Amino acid sequence: MIASLFGQNVDYQQDSNWRPPTEAESRKNPLSEKPQAAAGGKKLFLRNCVECHGEDGSGIVKKHAADLQLPVVQNQTDGTLFWKITNGNTDHGMPSFSNLPETQRWQLVLFLRSLKPTTKTP
Amino acid sequence: MKSYLIALFFFCPAWAICRAQENPYFVTYDHHLEEPGNLEIETSSTLGIPRSGQHFYFAPYTEIEYGVTARWTSEFYLEGQATAGDSSIFTGWRFENRFRPLKREHWINPVLYLEYENLNEGSRIQKEIVGNSPDVSSPNAELRKVAAHELETKLILSSQVHDWNIAENFIVEKNLSEDEGFEFGYSVGISRPLATLASGTECRFCRENFIAGVEMYGGLGSTLGFGLHDTAHYIAPVLGWQLTNNSSLHFSPSIGLTHGSNPLLLRVGYSYEIRGFGTKLTHWFGGRR
Repeated sequence: MIASLFGQNVDYQQDSNWRPPTEAESRKNPLSEKPQAAAGGKKLFLRNCVECHGEDGSGIVKKHAADLQLPVVQNQTDGTLFWKITNGNTDHGMPSFSNLPETQRWQLVLFLRSLKPTTKTP
Repeated sequence: MKSYLIALFFFCPAWAICRAQENPYFVTYDHHLEEPGNLEIETSSTLGIPRSGQHFYFAPYTEIEYGVTARWTSEFYLEGQATAGDSSIFTGWRFENRFRPLKREHWINPVLYLEYENLNEGSRIQKEIVGNSPDVSSPNAELRKVAAHELETKLILSSQVHDWNIAENFIVEKNLSEDEGFEFGYSVGISRPLATLASGTECRFCRENFIAGVEMYGGLGSTLGFGLHDTAHYIAPVLGWQLTNNSSLHFSPSIGLTHGSNPLLLRVGYSYEIRGFGTKLTHWFGGRR
């Protein structure tokens, strides 16, 4: 109920098979000390991700896309998020974004950290 | 003929539109497929600069590409050509499919390619080069009568090494209309964005919107005579420019390396991506929301 209050897609089910290798999971974001780079990440998100994840990252239900605001997503490491952006989840419709430069994928990870649930007015 | 050329020129506009971060190759394929549900429409053209005794030709084609799934892309092509001092003709259509067998990114990413071509011998777009040097001297009236129903397969191998794309294509083609054996060709390409950090503002001319590289491609003869004898080969710098979030331009001068090649091919392509086209189409035809 509390998650619903925050407008979150509570029906999202994480794919348990979509897991990175250990070395990928432990990678650190080289842009973590450059928060200003998140502005470019926002631009990339609006260009590449809103079609499925929505402008606020809450996920478009009919696309079965993840709500990026949820703790189950935000609690993943930077390396995990980078790996998921790079590889996609082609069995569930998310393409690979390895065509983006590595730096831009890290910018996307930086931006994802800024996504916060918004409170729904009852 | 003149009005047709003028119409073709406007059909292939000189202004730039970009695809989202796609490599600017004209011949080489990499492992990146169209995003599922997205439709991309591209219009491109090949201008052939002739040798002595040959004629200029202009070969435009339109490509409609659809992301069927995250690992399967289909494309349909229509093409034509106009030869100076001769005529302009429709040269046929192609139906192409690319399938990515592996789910994740790897050091080398394979893609399987299969294309059916319903063409005539007047085709000049040279989307791939196989076999021996093409006939560019015979008149269009003769060439259009000679059908070329061809099946083409490619093994595409592509890698992202940091911010560089390196791609290799191995081509086998069989003309089902003629008994001329299997024809072989190749293309290789390497490219990189001019900047890897995205700026926080929208901009048309910032370096992050440009991708540059080089590709090389050519024919390797056939099962009736494999090798480099009487084959065409080109080396081509390529440049891609992303103008908006869903449109792009790419340009390439291809330099002929052998006597069987045109001295120069000038290529320009313009593409526009319609995101979520599959979903929109479903809605238009009364699908569930």
